[in-house]
Amino acid sequence: MKVWQFSEQAYYPAFDVQGSMRVTLPQRHCDPREAQALLNRYLDEYMLADELGYNIMVNEHHASATCMSTSCMTTLAILARQTKNARLLALGIPLAHRSNPVRVAEEIAMVDVLSGGRLEVGLVKGAGYEVYMSNQQSNGFMDRFWEAHDLVVAALTNTEENFSWNGEHYHYRVVSLWPRPLQQPCPPIWMTASSAGSAAQHARLDYTCGTFLSGAVARSVFAGYRQAYLEAHGRQPSDDRLAYLALVSVANDRATAFARAEEMKAYFSTAARLEPHFSNPAGFNSVRDNVRMLQAGSAAVRPRTRDGKPLPANPTIEQYIDAGLMFVGTPDDVFAQIRQFHGEVGGFGNLLMMGQAGTLGHAETVENLTLFAREVTPRLAGLTAPSPDIRAQVFA
Amino acid sequence: MSEETVRETFLKGADTLDMRGSAVEIVRKGDGPPLLFLHGMDGLEAAAGLVDRLAETFTVYAPSHPGFGASDLPPGITTADDLGYFYLDLLDHLHLDAVTLVGLSLGGWIALEMLVKEPRRISRTVLGAPLGLSTGDRRTQRVVDIFMLSAAEVEQKMQTSPLPPRVDPAAQPVEVLERAAHNRAALSLFGWSPYLHNPKLRQRLHRARLPALILWGDADAIVPCDYAQEITAALPDATLQVLPGCGHRIHVDGAEPAARAIIEFAGVSSAAAAA
Repeated sequence: MKVWQFSEQAYYPAFDVQGSMRVTLPQRHCDPREAQALLNRYLDEYMLADELGYNIMVNEHHASATCMSTSCMTTLAILARQTKNARLLALGIPLAHRSNPVRVAEEIAMVDVLSGGRLEVGLVKGAGYEVYMSNQQSNGFMDRFWEAHDLVVAALTNTEENFSWNGEHYHYRVVSLWPRPLQQPCPPIWMTASSAGSAAQHARLDYTCGTFLSGAVARSVFAGYRQAYLEAHGRQPSDDRLAYLALVSVANDRATAFARAEEMKAYFSTAARLEPHFSNPAGFNSVRDNVRMLQAGSAAVRPRTRDGKPLPANPTIEQYIDAGLMFVGTPDDVFAQIRQFHGEVGGFGNLLMMGQAGTLGHAETVENLTLFAREVTPRLAGLTAPSPDIRAQVFA
Repeated sequence: MSEETVRETFLKGADTLDMRGSAVEIVRKGDGPPLLFLHGMDGLEAAAGLVDRLAETFTVYAPSHPGFGASDLPPGITTADDLGYFYLDLLDHLHLDAVTLVGLSLGGWIALEMLVKEPRRISRTVLGAPLGLSTGDRRTQRVVDIFMLSAAEVEQKMQTSPLPPRVDPAAQPVEVLERAAHNRAALSLFGWSPYLHNPKLRQRLHRARLPALILWGDADAIVPCDYAQEITAALPDATLQVLPGCGHRIHVDGAEPAARAIIEFAGVSSAAAAA
């Protein structure tokens, strides 16, 4: 099991501001001196993670107090120099929110070279509400995503002459990456999924598939991936093609672990603070999905606890644990929870671990990362989870 | 009859045209001189009352714009400029000339896109609260940015008439939800950015040499009056008529005065109007 440390790098002093944490939150609530201290603190924690043997994941959001990393590649450019061993994962670059895919490819190539070939690149759809900042057209969003994807991959993998690109959406006279990426044919590519259908698409492309905070849904995501992978490539994917993201709070005693988990829980409550109409901009989701959302109401999209009930509006730590969104407790507790979840979803080879989230402070984050690396990570190496449905089909 | 029943009955009377492989939903009603009616942001069904009223005097051709309602979105149609060409093709398809062209809001913008291309196809035009010119300056919004508002806030601003009681979406028939979803997506396609305008349109308006009547509700909370005045001044032969107490949805707040203004402007005899 590869473990990746991840923090959204929140500007949590703004969590006290009333109202939305995204899109409409005025930037005057940001004290840049406070931001300076926090951003450097989060980088220190990433550097510690590198020393402790973690890999590193960063993300990006825009106009949000919940995430100050506004560019995966800017953050990773720093970590490319300041870390030594960690794989560096951008998960991800919201490709269709970007206006210039060749610039995206240039940044990928430059960070890959800087890091000595430690970069892994997530190309993601990104959140609907971010069209308010990128101003990209929601209609045809995924058409542009896939053309941009094809262009970025073509640029990264090109070992021949420079080329021009005359697509439907993007036009370039000269595509030429200086430097070109160090990893050949290109840095490993990741995508994210919350349904079996989208996971199947990633499987056919042989990309690593991550699913975030999806609880029991991860089982169908991973099964969809495995089945499509087998059909497309004639063999099982290795577990390291699959990734699951959850929050982790570990301490020597449960009381401390739960107290820290309460601090981390602010991640959930603040990430959700957005005027509802921004979450589904016109044209971003298909007509069919819109109709389904209108018919089903908001409870349908909530993760579920093991008894099948949707998580309530403000879940307890126990409910988050039960739903597979948080792993909390002593090292034994946390290992047992991960082992159980890992078995239930059919196994995965990457734990994307939010070792810092919400308002969790620096000292607590250091303890969390250190204890997990010492007491839990070594035990994860032995985790195995046969995935009966798929393997049965192989032998059928 | 409830508003839903009116809309339902109205849409049942719609035909489907095949325009080079794409379906166009169109209501054809009445008997008299031809009138092409281009609906606003809320779809054809929202203007059922006004279309029915105009059909007492005109042969009304009222299509759903590409992507709206049950009309297909043909490949390559992404802008109001494209819609201008699309509707000139529709006039060819229907063998219509000397048409009275009526467009409301978004439909007024599309009408302008037609008029700057082939003004001679149209005998006169009535534009209710048309969009199409720059909707803001660098740092200020002239036309309210409805994409930044919730559906409930948009409804509050769109009309002065009382809003119908809110219906739980889960209780609505799938067709109604699909229609609403299509309308919402199509409005984003044509209006997201640049916001509800074509930066090239202003410099082309001098080409629209035909009699034009601009209708504006003085209670329009979406588009300010100076915007109406700018369009009126930029057109070669336009007059502005203000509808008192009327909001942006002229077809809801001022259907009757708008119908009378259209009939009078078109110079249709009162006998035909009374028939």
